Amino acid sequence: MTTMITTFRRQAETHPFLAGWLAFIGVLLGIGVISGAYVFWYGLEVTNLTNNVPWGLWITVDLSAIALGAGAFSLSTIAYILQVKEFEKIARIAVFVGFVGYTSAMLALLMDIGRPDRFWHPIVFWNIHSVLWEITMCVIFYSTVLVFELAPSVLESKIVTERLGFKRGPALAHLMHRFTPFVSIVGLGLSLLHQSSLGATYGVLVARPIWFKPSLPVMFILSAVAAGGTVTLAVTIFYENMVHARQIARRLRNQVAMFAGLMTLAYLYLKLWDFLATSYYSHLPSRVADQNLLESVTPYGVSFWWIEIIVGALVPAIILLSPRLRRQDSLIILAGLLAIVGVVANRWNITLSGLIVPMDWSPGTAELFPVQKYSPALSEWGVAIGVVGYALLMVTLGLRYLPLFPKGDHVEHH
Amino acid sequence: MADENEKFLSRREFIGAIMAAGGSVAVALALSQIAPLEDLIRDELALELPEIEREKESRKHGDSKHRWGMLIDLRKCIGCQYCVYACQAVNDVPDAMRWNVYKPETTANGDPFHMTRPCLHCQDAPCVSVCPVGATFVRDDGLVVMDYDKCIGCRYCQVACPYGARSFNWEKRSESSGYQPEWGNAEVEWRPRGVAEKCTFCIHRIDRGLAQGLTPGVDRPATPACVNICPVEARLFGDLKNPESRIAKAIRELPTFRLREELGTEPNVYYVPVEGMAV
Repeated sequence: MTTMITTFRRQAETHPFLAGWLAFIGVLLGIGVISGAYVFWYGLEVTNLTNNVPWGLWITVDLSAIALGAGAFSLSTIAYILQVKEFEKIARIAVFVGFVGYTSAMLALLMDIGRPDRFWHPIVFWNIHSVLWEITMCVIFYSTVLVFELAPSVLESKIVTERLGFKRGPALAHLMHRFTPFVSIVGLGLSLLHQSSLGATYGVLVARPIWFKPSLPVMFILSAVAAGGTVTLAVTIFYENMVHARQIARRLRNQVAMFAGLMTLAYLYLKLWDFLATSYYSHLPSRVADQNLLESVTPYGVSFWWIEIIVGALVPAIILLSPRLRRQDSLIILAGLLAIVGVVANRWNITLSGLIVPMDWSPGTAELFPVQKYSPALSEWGVAIGVVGYALLMVTLGLRYLPLFPKGDHVEHH
Repeated sequence: MADENEKFLSRREFIGAIMAAGGSVAVALALSQIAPLEDLIRDELALELPEIEREKESRKHGDSKHRWGMLIDLRKCIGCQYCVYACQAVNDVPDAMRWNVYKPETTANGDPFHMTRPCLHCQDAPCVSVCPVGATFVRDDGLVVMDYDKCIGCRYCQVACPYGARSFNWEKRSESSGYQPEWGNAEVEWRPRGVAEKCTFCIHRIDRGLAQGLTPGVDRPATPACVNICPVEARLFGDLKNPESRIAKAIRELPTFRLREELGTEPNVYYVPVEGMAV
């Protein structure tokens, strides 16, 4: 460990950019640790969450991180279950990005629950009627799957084989690799369950007409697969530019871009139909009332959704699907960033639009239930920044120390 | 590829497979008729519990002979808010977390009336079905209760409740609600930081009262504080399963409605509408 830190320090000294980058991550983590300690000490009182808006920024971070990790299961499925061999070249980085996403989400969740000391309760006390229980169990099991899928990369890394002197690492990795197809099937099942159930968390609540619809689970999983694939590709291209060497063949790059682009289109199609079905062709009075309220007094009306759709989905889809555009590295990286913006904006919009619209349970006609307001407190921002810092640190360390791109024979340099 | 798919089952294999499947079903059916096995299956399906376990469970889950409910007569309510304060005193609930709330309302004609709302103790409670750890559940006697030792503080119940009837302990309690002793004395402990809480229909009074042979809704020590304190008897409490109880009779005789009935939550709290209210 100490040798590793020494080498890292030496590398940081010789690479000023890396040193600056690490210092930046250090600042983010510092903010996160201070905010986290503050929240743990004083409790959720220090947030801007209320009894009317009990979920906010952290849930958004949590949902987004899990969604952005969806490249892991979708690309692994293509590689190991549909057996498109070429995709194996990108499966490892996808699994790694997934691992970072899921652990980030758990970090955010741990901060969000009122009793972090009881995080293990869902494992022991079951309520099988709760989507949240199903999600918790799936996320726990799926994280195990991710650890198993990521293990070969760690075992083959120089840290394990040389620094720690575990010579049999690669052999063990090879053995584990033989179980990959089976593990991928388990991972696919778990992901199909919880990625959509995250949407169902909102979609099953009869009390809130803005949320209560069967399209939410499907839109959640589609947007996750789309954005997850896009981000995985963007990280790959970013890394290629960092080390000035192509890691994946152009054909694979095109295929992954096509896959992510088509998924984004499918998501947009569903989103359009969701809008048409709930707001154009039908007029459920309670939903119309809530939507009018959103339109008139909040920034969460349809106009706002357009930003989420155009910037966060349509532009990335065009970049990914146009052969001319996706050839440019900078545009792929841009598409990745926009996909993140799209997912975060979407999860934020869905969470907040449902919560700030008041529920009128009283039988009278007086205006008793004002539209709620929520903007995250400094402590909430601090924790969210810390989680981002954790994710960036993990990505940096992973790209630097793990063999995430198997040295294949077909890597063409173009 | 092609040769793999071209191989069909031979006729012999096909008939064999059908017969094997049919045979298994027949054997299973035959086995289920054998007496000892039959008992075993019945026990498994019924999940029979030993005597002591059953007793412990019934204490936790209440007695299914009763179903506790409340009737709030909006015609009678004068808006004094005593029920709110008594609740805050007895259950020691601070203002920001009120279990029992009051709202000055108006009918469609513009006539004012007084609306109060405890937890409605829904029989198909959304808060109960969403709780990931089963920390909140519907007892056999209809009460929707909290297990503060199980709650992880995820606040999904707050998000799911159609009536905004749940509060969260955002901070550690450091002082009493301030309504004691004028409105009553605190009868329950402070809830810990980080868990959800809600109106319990003064469950501690009901359970202790029943153990002492009292009748909740009739005997004051076994009746919720909000019902006891009401100066105009706008709130009735009692056993909905007992046709002779005052509440059951009142519900039979008066026009009543329940809040957001269209959601199918089946609340145990009934309201008598005021004149001019479209229900």
